[in-house]
Amino acid sequence: MGKMKYGIGMRTQYAAGTDMHVAFNEQMEQARLAEKLGFNSLMKSSHLAGHPLQEFQQVPFLGRVMAEAPSLRLITGVVLLSLHKPLDMAEQLATIDVMSGGRLTFGAGLGYREVEFKAFGTTSKERVKRFEENLIAINRLWTEEKVSMSGSHFELDDAALSLKPAQKPTPPVWIGANADAAIVRAAKMADAWFVNPHQKLETIERQAELYKRALDQAGKPFPDDLPGCREIFVGNSRTEAIEAAKPFLAAKYKVYHQWGQDEDMPDDDNDLSLDYDELLEDRFMLGSPEEIAEQIIAHNKRVGINHLILNFHWVGMPQALCLESMTRFAEEVRPLVEQGL
Amino acid sequence: MTTIQFGLMIRGQFPQEDDMQQRFAECMEMVRHADRLGFACITKGSHYAGYPLQDIQQLPFLTRAMVEGPNLRLNAGIILLSLHKPLDLAEQLASIDVMSGGRLIFGAALGYREVEFLGFGTTQRDRVQRFEENLAAIKRLWGENDVNMVGSHFQLKDASTSIKPVQKPHPPIWIGANADPAIRRAAKVGDCWYVNPHNRIGTILKQTEIYKRALDEYDRPFPEEFPIRREVFVAKTREEALRLCAPYLATKYKVYHQWGQDKVMPEGDNDLSLEFDDLAHDRFLIGSPDEVADECIRLHRETGVNHIIASMQWPGMDYRITMDAMQLLSEEVFPKVNQAV
Repeated sequence: MGKMKYGIGMRTQYAAGTDMHVAFNEQMEQARLAEKLGFNSLMKSSHLAGHPLQEFQQVPFLGRVMAEAPSLRLITGVVLLSLHKPLDMAEQLATIDVMSGGRLTFGAGLGYREVEFKAFGTTSKERVKRFEENLIAINRLWTEEKVSMSGSHFELDDAALSLKPAQKPTPPVWIGANADAAIVRAAKMADAWFVNPHQKLETIERQAELYKRALDQAGKPFPDDLPGCREIFVGNSRTEAIEAAKPFLAAKYKVYHQWGQDEDMPDDDNDLSLDYDELLEDRFMLGSPEEIAEQIIAHNKRVGINHLILNFHWVGMPQALCLESMTRFAEEVRPLVEQGL
Repeated sequence: MTTIQFGLMIRGQFPQEDDMQQRFAECMEMVRHADRLGFACITKGSHYAGYPLQDIQQLPFLTRAMVEGPNLRLNAGIILLSLHKPLDLAEQLASIDVMSGGRLIFGAALGYREVEFLGFGTTQRDRVQRFEENLAAIKRLWGENDVNMVGSHFQLKDASTSIKPVQKPHPPIWIGANADPAIRRAAKVGDCWYVNPHNRIGTILKQTEIYKRALDEYDRPFPEEFPIRREVFVAKTREEALRLCAPYLATKYKVYHQWGQDKVMPEGDNDLSLEFDDLAHDRFLIGSPDEVADECIRLHRETGVNHIIASMQWPGMDYRITMDAMQLLSEEVFPKVNQAV
């Protein structure tokens, strides 16, 4: 297992009424700081029709932010793959990969919001089927010269891409999965299961066993890179960090609950409407540098996560607070983890 | 006094064996050059499954290019609107407009390639309906929240985009049209008709009359900005200009003919397989600075176009030749044209 790698999560979410020009500049500043602090990657999420939350769209944002952070890998966390057409995604992502000099990691997930399914002319019921056929089609388009394939919502008729990705055979493929069935799918179809930020570590530990069994069944090895995503705030103490993050993080998870994110989570861990103090247990990394380092080591030892995407920023959070947390992470937490591994 | 603006079309299309990271870097050099030379915009076209030509995808390209050309408007010229879902485009284009500080131009047209229609789960037959409903939906999504709309291939249910464009009421909508009904549509629902590069000036004159009559019929004013795309090349002499560009331009038009571009052009001017001299006559702006300036002035005087988007590079052509021609255009043609009008 390799050294621990770190990324910053860039949801780019802001409250209604925020000047998005200011927001944009803040996001570029966060990317530049991540580059300066020696992070390994950045991740951009995807939602559409997210009002009243404001956010930048995933592919355009990655196209722009890559100029601010020339060393960082660019992760789609995640493409809501069930919504899209594979020819479109294959070409958009190949472009991001080529323009960045081969830095794309293709994270994909199902999506869960009715307004998004409807707007893309599909339904929640179709999402697994569309996800699977889209992923297969994209992989074929990336690796074969010409592709003929009949999907449930598209037709590839001797289609040959305008552009292949820079990375060969393809950029790494990660599947974001909350529910058990999706984790099995990740084992079969992806290079790695992309562990989500919503679940408690003990749930993830259970699911990791499921993941390993599914890998064995598929005849695949445990991935070199096992990525996971966590909410984080580095403070002077646990109490202080919990209080500092509360206004922003609590609000974020209320929205997740409203949007129905928890409906996709396993029965033993699917209530994001819990009170913040209960919600954060075993789920969010909030504490002093020593406490956070311990939690990261635990994620590594108990689950095998060695590429950690950290969400430092939530809706409404002042930029200075976010930058400070990022800086403390790099200067105080990271060295402790290295010593402890 | 009128100002004639000049934009640069960056085709971004290259032969199959080319190193696309290298070519992309050259494109960015051209963007920087255009910015320094006082071009008004860069324009990027869109195609999918463009093999055997390699192509960089339009929207990610523009998001990366916005950094290299901070003074340039970004023309998505044109988006194949019939292929897409309106929420997707409304969101992506709003992101690009906000990130660039309000520099987006929303070009749109029907598209004509079967492989693209099929890849997006649609057909040639549906393209007009989809174009019209998509455009109507995008305008609504940009202007209102809680949009409810049932389209033939999507449903908007209380949908509100995450962000709205900076430009108000929205980025300018340029509608590309070859055939007469499409020109009438441009008069009805666009901010202007975006004249394509393929038609001879005689055809454009006839079509401008159709456009003006339609504007009257729909009670819309003649647009303040009336753009046209042209194949342009300039050198010290006409002979040198032809020597430098003719081989590449001829190949490009053979590909257009293979792809069926001329099938959607009007009777009497719909054969792109003609021999080069025949093809170039009254269609391409190629010559010495004086000759090209004269043609631009003539175009403006006869049709009213006041924003000339110049395509100056064709597949296989060394970009340094284009860079030189861009310089000559800026130094000698821009001022000549603007002094005369």
